[in-house]
Amino acid sequence: MEGDLQSVGRSIHAAFPTRTRNPLRALDQKAMELASQDAELRAALFRFVDVSPASRSLDDLARHLTEYLDEVDERPPPIEAAMKMSGTRAGRAALGAAAAAGVRHMAHRFIVGETPREAIKPIRYLWEHGAAVSLDLLGEATVTSAEADRYAERCMDALETLAAAAPAWPARPVLEQDSLGPLPRVNLSVKVSALSPLLRPEAPEVGRDDAARRMRPLLVRARELGAHLHIDMESVDTLEATMGLVFELLSDPELRDGPSTGVVMQAYLRESPEQLEQVIEWARATPRASPIVVRLVKGAYWDHEVVDARQHGWTPPVFEEKRESDRNFEALTRRLLEAWPHVRPAIASHNLRSVANAISVNRELGRSDGDLELQVLRGLGDDLAAALAQLGMRVRIYCPVGDMVAGMAYLVRRLLENTSNESFLGDQQRGVSIDELLAAP
Amino acid sequence: MIPAEFRNEPILELRRAAVRDSLSDALRELDSRLPLEVPALIGGERSVSGVFDSTDPGMPERVVARAGLAGEGEAAAAVAAASERGFREWGSRSPAERASVLRDAASRLRSRRLELAALQVRECAKPWPEADADVCEAIDFLEYYAAEAVELGRGRELLQVPGERNTMRYAPRGVAVVIAPWNFPLAIPCGMTAAALAAGNAAVLKPAEQSPGSAGALVEALHDAGVPPAALSLLPGYGEAGAALVRDPRVHVIAFTGSGAVGLEIVRAAAETPDGQGHVKRVVSEMGGKNCVIVDSDADLDDVVPELVHSAFGFAGQKCSAAARALVHEAVAERLVERLGGAVRVLDVGQAESFATEVPPVIDEEAQERVLRYRSLAGDGVVASAEDVPSSGWFVPPTVVFDLPEDSPVNREEVFGPLLSVTAVRDVDEAMDIVDSLPLALTGGLFSRSPATIERVAARSPVGNLYVNRGITGAMVGRQPFGGNRRSGVGSKAGGPDYLLQFVEPRIVTENTMRHGIPVE
Repeated sequence: MEGDLQSVGRSIHAAFPTRTRNPLRALDQKAMELASQDAELRAALFRFVDVSPASRSLDDLARHLTEYLDEVDERPPPIEAAMKMSGTRAGRAALGAAAAAGVRHMAHRFIVGETPREAIKPIRYLWEHGAAVSLDLLGEATVTSAEADRYAERCMDALETLAAAAPAWPARPVLEQDSLGPLPRVNLSVKVSALSPLLRPEAPEVGRDDAARRMRPLLVRARELGAHLHIDMESVDTLEATMGLVFELLSDPELRDGPSTGVVMQAYLRESPEQLEQVIEWARATPRASPIVVRLVKGAYWDHEVVDARQHGWTPPVFEEKRESDRNFEALTRRLLEAWPHVRPAIASHNLRSVANAISVNRELGRSDGDLELQVLRGLGDDLAAALAQLGMRVRIYCPVGDMVAGMAYLVRRLLENTSNESFLGDQQRGVSIDELLAAP
Repeated sequence: MIPAEFRNEPILELRRAAVRDSLSDALRELDSRLPLEVPALIGGERSVSGVFDSTDPGMPERVVARAGLAGEGEAAAAVAAASERGFREWGSRSPAERASVLRDAASRLRSRRLELAALQVRECAKPWPEADADVCEAIDFLEYYAAEAVELGRGRELLQVPGERNTMRYAPRGVAVVIAPWNFPLAIPCGMTAAALAAGNAAVLKPAEQSPGSAGALVEALHDAGVPPAALSLLPGYGEAGAALVRDPRVHVIAFTGSGAVGLEIVRAAAETPDGQGHVKRVVSEMGGKNCVIVDSDADLDDVVPELVHSAFGFAGQKCSAAARALVHEAVAERLVERLGGAVRVLDVGQAESFATEVPPVIDEEAQERVLRYRSLAGDGVVASAEDVPSSGWFVPPTVVFDLPEDSPVNREEVFGPLLSVTAVRDVDEAMDIVDSLPLALTGGLFSRSPATIERVAARSPVGNLYVNRGITGAMVGRQPFGGNRRSGVGSKAGGPDYLLQFVEPRIVTENTMRHGIPVE
């Protein structure tokens, strides 16, 4: 079994595309390398990316950049050069322009377009090259009812736009069929917190009901359009509301025969094994025409959860050691694959070992590769997606859509992930050996 | 000096359904015992001269506590007990002994956390998250001052030269009077009383007439833990008892938290030194605020809106630290007002016992009238309000007003309710000029992502507690020592390393150790 994992892992690794020679890509790669080597520099970079959409002018932008860099003790030569430029107004304008271009380019790597319409072209390109997508609409935090309504309208528009475009895409059997039936070409991920301004941890039912009110028409429309609607998971503060909403809406007999939907399990949560059992139990008891997709992720709010818990004197709800999360990820993968066909498993990870493990366990259970979906994030898992597609696996790329202001929180989180010393991607970029990449956690 | 063993009492994880259920159970249990009997306790004796009731602000016909009414006579008797017996018994104990009694009281409160939170929900309409935090803060004060008392007991290091031994130590002052407000019905009376006791004084506690129940629970815990009855008296009642305590020549320290009018009156009255009073009174007076949050153009409005809403409207704006004004850069003012307005319109105004409630009723009818009066002064400056409020109970619609003249009373006076005034400013400097022009300087806030702006505002801000890129309420013991400057307070910092110094007098002993020209040490 472990032997199979190793050979699967090596074959994926061998299928990785050779490094792109795009000079701009090389440039932001360089910036991220610098950032991952120096914690102060990394902080400066994040704070700058974070503030950039709120800056009123290039001068203002350059001023912020200089203030952040000023707090870095040891400045590499290119940074020192940037600091010198900021002494004059003209220098600041040039620095601001260069920095703005840098942030824009970095954003484009992770964000597929400003609107669903703009995203159609890159999505079709991915589809033609063997990868499906799930679209995610980035937005400012929802603090008013009007904002929640607007987000719901944007979701509706995304569904319509994708549904109008998708029929023209060429046939890709791996991406649109598994042994349980057809898989929608159109796939949208939605966030419960964006659908209501009323989500509060101490009163989950209030936000749940308010979000459900806006979610229901989306589900109905997705069913009509034959689209998949995936309900994303966020921080623990919204967990009860999100799971409550899923169970309540999807148990409604009116929505039993569609649409295809999905939920997310976060393997870094200590309580995730019980949660997964709950979902599987529910799926068994509540059969749907199209079985629910369960996307297994590690979880993207680790820092938030740990800091929040520490400030309140709580035990963090997440595993604090990366190895524990990785081990749990493997255990949940097996549990999830065993639960097929009551659920459709989707394993979302950039960790080569986790992906190889999912493929080999699925085979060990006697299932077809086509009954396992693998998912990655745009901008982080592109090479892995290409390799998996080449090997004939079904891979889906999570593609955020939105403008700079809306996308900044997302971008910062992705950058953090990409420059973290603990991340698999970091290891990969540093040229860690394949044996280590595939070592058991 | 940070006490090594001190940790903040963890608040409840209200995002867990089981935790919420346990609180609802505690409330049901409490309800079955209402009204609570809270006697006036004078040197261990129950006084029976009269009674008064505290009621539920959300349902005024519900009596929460029936308290013994203390007046001038009781005040004099309590001070006599403290001064003749209490101080002698308690003040002669070592700091370590006093600390261990306070820690015992902390553990008694800890074992009653749910019940005490439920009591605040009923007696003060304090919503669960705030009620729980209040109980935790009370426990923190006991633990923190216990540790500080031991530390202070070691005295301070002084410069030493040959032939001379210098020591500095701190002695309790004597009788401390504590006059407490209702808005932190357990934490604030507990903090002031615990500090007085930790330092070795005898204490007389006069809680607010709106919240005798919580004060009763506090005094019970302290007595059960071993504070001698004469060293801690409880005088539920109105201003009459408080005024008598302040005037009493046998009182050494007055610790007060409450309104500016009463606070300044106490400062004046305590300055009198009638014949026979062998000391000057020390006054610790913490009064109100007119707290401003500055929002610069580079702020992240996604953070600003929820933090501002929580700071201004949490517990219906009835925290001294609550946000009263937002001074917003003109480049983002319109956008912020729009989003803030939308967020205020969906605020859940309701009974404190519901976990959904964000804005509970205000404390009493007088408060309701006051806030509504200021709201009507704002006229057509009102831009958003949550109008769907229950009809019975002392509810006030949470309201945002915009662009009022600088000299409007809404912009200058403390409203102490769910009313937030937003003003557009040219830049941060204009905002700072406004902050500077206000006589009150308790808390303040700044939202900016520029390190230079943060430094500039921090250097110029007169307030006691400045919060950057976060809400401006919720000071934690040991982390944010709390108290105001200017006319907001005397600069003492509750829950901080200097606070106990208000309750002691320093004594220096210098001994000549030379004998026959030879230093003998």
